[in-house]
Amino acid sequence: MKIDPKTFVHDYQLNVCIQCGTCIGGCPVKFRSPLNMRRLVRQTHFANDPSSLFKKPELWACTTCSTCSLRCPAGVKNVELIIGIRNFLANQGEVPSTIRDALENTFLQGNPWGRFRDRRADWAKDLRVKVLGEAATETLLYMGCAPSYDPRVQSVSTALVKIFQKANIDFGILGKKESCCGNEIRRMGEQALFRKLAKDNTNLFKKSGIKKIITISPHCFNAFKNEYPDLDIPVQHYTQVIAELIETGKLKMPKELNIPVTYQDPCFLGKQNQIFDEPRKILTSIPGLEFAEMDRSRQRSLCCEGGGGRMWAEGGTEGTRNGEIRIKEAVALGAKVMATSCPFCLLTFEDAVKISGLASEIVIKDISELVAEAIDENSITKFQAPNNHQ
Amino acid sequence: MNIAVCVKRIPKTAEADIFIEKDGTDIKKDHLVFHLNDWDGYAVREAALLKEKHGGEVTVITVGPEESKEVLTRCLAMGADKALRIEEPPSLDAYRIAKILSQVIKGQPFDLILTGVQAEDDNFGQVGVSLAQMLGLPHAAIVNHIEIEGDKAKVRRELEGGIEEMIELKLPVVLTIQTGINEPKYVSLAALLEAEDKETTDCGLEEMGIPSDDPVDTKIDQVSFPPVGKMAEILKGSPEEVVAQLTEIIKKKKG
Repeated sequence: MKIDPKTFVHDYQLNVCIQCGTCIGGCPVKFRSPLNMRRLVRQTHFANDPSSLFKKPELWACTTCSTCSLRCPAGVKNVELIIGIRNFLANQGEVPSTIRDALENTFLQGNPWGRFRDRRADWAKDLRVKVLGEAATETLLYMGCAPSYDPRVQSVSTALVKIFQKANIDFGILGKKESCCGNEIRRMGEQALFRKLAKDNTNLFKKSGIKKIITISPHCFNAFKNEYPDLDIPVQHYTQVIAELIETGKLKMPKELNIPVTYQDPCFLGKQNQIFDEPRKILTSIPGLEFAEMDRSRQRSLCCEGGGGRMWAEGGTEGTRNGEIRIKEAVALGAKVMATSCPFCLLTFEDAVKISGLASEIVIKDISELVAEAIDENSITKFQAPNNHQ
Repeated sequence: MNIAVCVKRIPKTAEADIFIEKDGTDIKKDHLVFHLNDWDGYAVREAALLKEKHGGEVTVITVGPEESKEVLTRCLAMGADKALRIEEPPSLDAYRIAKILSQVIKGQPFDLILTGVQAEDDNFGQVGVSLAQMLGLPHAAIVNHIEIEGDKAKVRRELEGGIEEMIELKLPVVLTIQTGINEPKYVSLAALLEAEDKETTDCGLEEMGIPSDDPVDTKIDQVSFPPVGKMAEILKGSPEEVVAQLTEIIKKKKG
């Protein structure tokens, strides 16, 4: 369990670094913090005692978007280095106080916000959703923490229930037995807690007899798909499921949404897990919707800064948020809606819209919310393009 | 410098749904999570910091059920060296807890005895000061800074109205610790697992020569929710409707 920074050179392949600077060239927080990946790799490589380098607040600025490690031509594991450093710091107890609270909350209540565990499924009270353990089903809709508790993201949860019920999918949720997936916990440096969550969740999934998992957050998707060592149940992100439903004709969208929409690729869905086409397929299938692509899209999508524990970090960055830059790009493109498929993107961009004073120009929507609108021609339109608001 | 820290395991109620037990004398706790009393966490951290500076040993003591071991493990992970759990008697109040603690601590070579100012669950704030009285030791309550100089403790304590008092006490001394005296460290799961290997001593009351049927001074007759106030009005409806109602109210109030 002990972490020894002296093994970092070997563990994260720091000795193959050719100092080309590609990592820092693509870093989304390079203008927002003193974090310099190229320098960090070099200094850690040559320091006699690397732990002396680790007491820098900017080490908490990294969003673990992974642009650096995905682009590195030599194969340096940059993001794993950051996670390793944070793991070392967490084991020393030296994490920022807001990160400390998020980790302790997850240990006690199963979610980083410290919300009461028994209220995890309150959002689903009147929606006739099966709860595993009380009813049997083979498909689990794993909610995740933000879609369970955050009032804004709960609207994504209810939209997905509406879509799946309309498409006659037999699915269930875990209710108050569900715990955090641990994706962000690992990235905040708590490897032991991540391993515990992975073990407990894997056992719970297996005991529930499920054959398939659908996630709302790309972060949960990433953890289950790539980082749970003993999970052999297939995992899909909800955009993959909806794209399939549309393709096979099981989901019809009779209502026209005559709005110009662009799409933000979430880092953990797009560049880290190569799911680029399904969200676009869904958007372009919505009748009337005019889809426009931003210049920086797919692998080059700009990180919203919500990952890697940044949802619970304070400070460490300064200047204009990436979210604001991104919103302005979308507005310049003529989009009235920026769609995304990640709870963290949804929250960070909504904040950015408010901060930029562009609330009358553009709104942020999850793809599921647009689909839920389009499948029901008789529904009262909850959403309209902002220019239609009176 | 040998330090004793008295701690308590308490339920976390801030976000929880609270229900009252059928007999009306307590809240239901089976659906709640428990943790180390917030004030006590600061006291344990302060003891660990003083140990770093002056050497010695930190012993944590609790009076509580078997499950209290989990908070003792946390204290060991935070830097305590020894942990002692005294089995709780069937009925307990702040005076009784202080009495049991005093019987355990009396005659032990502690220079400093720390407690939290109060516990989050019952908010009595009595254990520390009662303990000092029973041990015949000087004490200071609501302490937010400690300096040890030779056989003296210079401490700062909070008074009302934002005033602070600096006092000097001769060791040994009992101090009740206020939150904010330090910045508690994160206790990682790895550190907790490691601390599980450290020894925790369990003691029954009889072994300590303490009668288990001592009477308590305080008996809870009834717990209840505060009556709902009449001033608050909860607006109902969609966000749009709520905003419309709120705007009307503000307009009216504005006159």
